[in-house]
Amino acid sequence: MSYIAANLVKTGGIISLLIGALSACTSTTVDEFRQGETGIENHESIVILGRRQASDYETRSEFVDCVGEHMGNGTNSIRVVPEQEFVDAMFPWFEPRTAPLRTSDLEKLMAEEVVAQKMDEFGVRYIVWLDGFTETSGRTGSISCTIGPGGAGCFGFGTWEDDASFDARIWDVDSATSVGTINTDANGQSYLPALVIPIPLIARVEANACSRLASQLKDFVNGS
Amino acid sequence: MTNIALNTKSYNKFASTMLGLALSACGVSNVVIEGSFPTPNINKLPLTMAVLYDEALRNFAYIEYTETGEEEFNIESGLSHIQLFDAVLPAMFDQVIIVNSMEEAKTRGVDAVFAPAIEEFQLALPAKTKLDVYEVWIKYNMRLLTAEGDYIADWVLTSYGKTPTATFLSVEAAINEAAVVALRDLASSFSLSFSEVPEVRDWLNRL
Repeated sequence: MSYIAANLVKTGGIISLLIGALSACTSTTVDEFRQGETGIENHESIVILGRRQASDYETRSEFVDCVGEHMGNGTNSIRVVPEQEFVDAMFPWFEPRTAPLRTSDLEKLMAEEVVAQKMDEFGVRYIVWLDGFTETSGRTGSISCTIGPGGAGCFGFGTWEDDASFDARIWDVDSATSVGTINTDANGQSYLPALVIPIPLIARVEANACSRLASQLKDFVNGS
Repeated sequence: MTNIALNTKSYNKFASTMLGLALSACGVSNVVIEGSFPTPNINKLPLTMAVLYDEALRNFAYIEYTETGEEEFNIESGLSHIQLFDAVLPAMFDQVIIVNSMEEAKTRGVDAVFAPAIEEFQLALPAKTKLDVYEVWIKYNMRLLTAEGDYIADWVLTSYGKTPTATFLSVEAAINEAAVVALRDLASSFSLSFSEVPEVRDWLNRL
């Protein structure tokens, strides 16, 4: 009995290791370009906004929320104003059609008394513009599933590649200047082998891009 | 005679049941646009504005057809348009009065009457466009009249909204989301461009 249990544990451990090894097949590159000095006080906050002007894609709000959550937690955490709360409070100045595209537009926007007052209420020191998307390519393989009186099962193999590419542009609200850009590119191969039961081994491409970008942004804004 | 009457009654019941089944199986999906719209942060104009929502706007609905010409979606957005204008207009003008007729506007002594109208509504579904987004376009005719019904300005505004398929919403929810984005787009461009419309600007300068 204990022999079977030990074998089961051993088999489970091997499967876990295999899944862990395969699901970790993601490579992430982060590039930073600094244009100005940064730093943030305790009473100040940042807001992370997704760019949604492009016709064929838009930066997903889930990715924006993910970066915000990572920056708002852990050591050297930064106060992050939630995107939707900020956009609603600033309505109609940060809608896809009206949002500032350049720092010169921000300067003009800050000349509006109602905008400057709201920005002050939030204590926003930096605006981070996130722009990008995750693309899936190279889908190959096939899986077929059958069901019969004796049971059901799937057989086959599928694979695909995910590529997440995101830019973060950081604007200093006080000086209405761009202080830097951080580019993140993550890619990874996902696998779906099916031997009776499909076992998805998903490359956590977007999640990795989010955590690496958030970590780099946190250091950047803190000036370290 | 009684037998025939009973047969007719049974036939009618059978026919209506079958019709009901047929409609529920292949019927049109009803989408009532619902969303919340924030109040704009803009400077108010010192005007008393009457708003006239006509029946066409109140009951506005758009029907999307399949490629074979069958009704696929019935999108009702009249109520959401009224909710949107009710949120936006009080932030733009000192006083806003909803009127049911031009005569009422005249007796209320307002500065002008605003009468919005929807000219065109378009929906683009991923299944037809092969793009990864649901899109909604709406074309409006914005009319501004004096309390006496004379012309002040008449301009066209278009609004656009999209929702990516990657949000994994149902088709109905994705259409609603795209329409709400389009309505927000309308609110932002209308509230920011109102005073910039040449005829409106001239009229404001004459006040």
